[in-house]
Amino acid sequence: MAEPIEPQAPAAPEAPAGPYVYDHAAAPFRQVVMPKTVPLPSFRTYTAEVAAAAAADEAKWQKQLADFEVAKTKAETEGKDAPKPPVRAVPRKDDNDMKTPWPVAATDADLLKLQELLGDSVEECFEQAGERVCQVKKEAILEALRVCREEPSLKYEMLADQSATHYPAAKDFAFSIVYHLTSVSRSKRLRLRILVPEGFIPESACDLYPSANWMEREIYDMLGIRFANHPDMTRILCPEDWEGYPLRKEYPTVGWGQRDIDFRDDRGGVLNRLAMEKAGQLGINLKQPKAD
Amino acid sequence: MGVNQPTALEHVLITTKVEKVINWARASSVWPMTFGLACCAIEMMAAGASKFDFDRFGAGIFRATPRQSDLMIVAGTVTYKMAPVIKKLYDQMPEPKWVIAMGSCATAGGPFDSYHTIQGVDKVIPVDVFIPGCPPKPEALIYGFLKLQDKIMTSSIADRYKDIFEEVG
Repeated sequence: MAEPIEPQAPAAPEAPAGPYVYDHAAAPFRQVVMPKTVPLPSFRTYTAEVAAAAAADEAKWQKQLADFEVAKTKAETEGKDAPKPPVRAVPRKDDNDMKTPWPVAATDADLLKLQELLGDSVEECFEQAGERVCQVKKEAILEALRVCREEPSLKYEMLADQSATHYPAAKDFAFSIVYHLTSVSRSKRLRLRILVPEGFIPESACDLYPSANWMEREIYDMLGIRFANHPDMTRILCPEDWEGYPLRKEYPTVGWGQRDIDFRDDRGGVLNRLAMEKAGQLGINLKQPKAD
Repeated sequence: MGVNQPTALEHVLITTKVEKVINWARASSVWPMTFGLACCAIEMMAAGASKFDFDRFGAGIFRATPRQSDLMIVAGTVTYKMAPVIKKLYDQMPEPKWVIAMGSCATAGGPFDSYHTIQGVDKVIPVDVFIPGCPPKPEALIYGFLKLQDKIMTSSIADRYKDIFEEVG
């Protein structure tokens, strides 16, 4: 007789390793599932993966051949029929297969020019789906932007967009800041990006591209990345007294209780104090992390 | 006989009728405040335009200041950042004042179950009529306004200021 299967209690989620402290027992509905995502697709990582897969495939084929030789000699000595030779499996090619376009090595003249001008500052250059991507060292972003803007053969006059991503699993390059450049005169687009760890303060692009002003403020507002030499490094969308950075992965979607405040009780406009009290009841520490 | 008859004193007291006259005047000239927060405001404008003609009910004069308006139509998503502003505008409106929460966002947060959205404007100010819909059609807004007119007609000063009276004692 089979033993009855007892229902397994789901394992308690681990507290995320972030600058904020969560008490999941006190606020179970505010659990944050930290994504175990890989960092941004890196061209080197991709090529290494492809090379490893090809090597594994080749090794498998060689082993098949060796096994066949062994079986063949064994059959000859025993006087039996020779075994069938192995057939190498060719991956089926489907032209309609809609996969993510994989990155290929840079052949575009702009990327080659950037590599030539910036030298060691370029970490990697590749093209993906016809889009040019150049990843530079985080200290050299201002130089790269200046080259893109002022070099006569590049002439990327416009910073169309600037954004950032957060991959907390990648410790030393948890954030990526992406600069979408557009050359109006040449009808071309280029994407520059840097990978920065938590707490790193990159240089502001405001002097080169004035449009970076608000976009960097938005990045600071949503992800907490400060920029050096920015004229006005304050929040742009959230209220000035907002606690935390909403687009970080450890930030719960429903927030930390600010929205649950009953504003009818708030005569003095001290909303943040109420948020802190509410968070205290929920066992959430909303204090800002030390810069350190 | 005579038990349910009004007394002579009650024949003299005509406060009910004064209230009715006042309520009729108030319900017939509700001036809303120009206060659109999101896409519901488009429907509110349509309700005020010639096809639906909010002015038929005396509510066509959208005032640009809270100090001259009686009705706040909260048309749209109420964010955490906007909530103190709504509170201040409501406090600036003179009594008597009413509030219509138009659309599912102002009613209960709508699709924005998120950190920045107040889950219903009734957490900020008292609401008289809730209108569901995303967004509600102009007919729905007019129906909600007619309900508000019914509420005004059946209201009394004593009810409205009951809390204050009890507080004063």
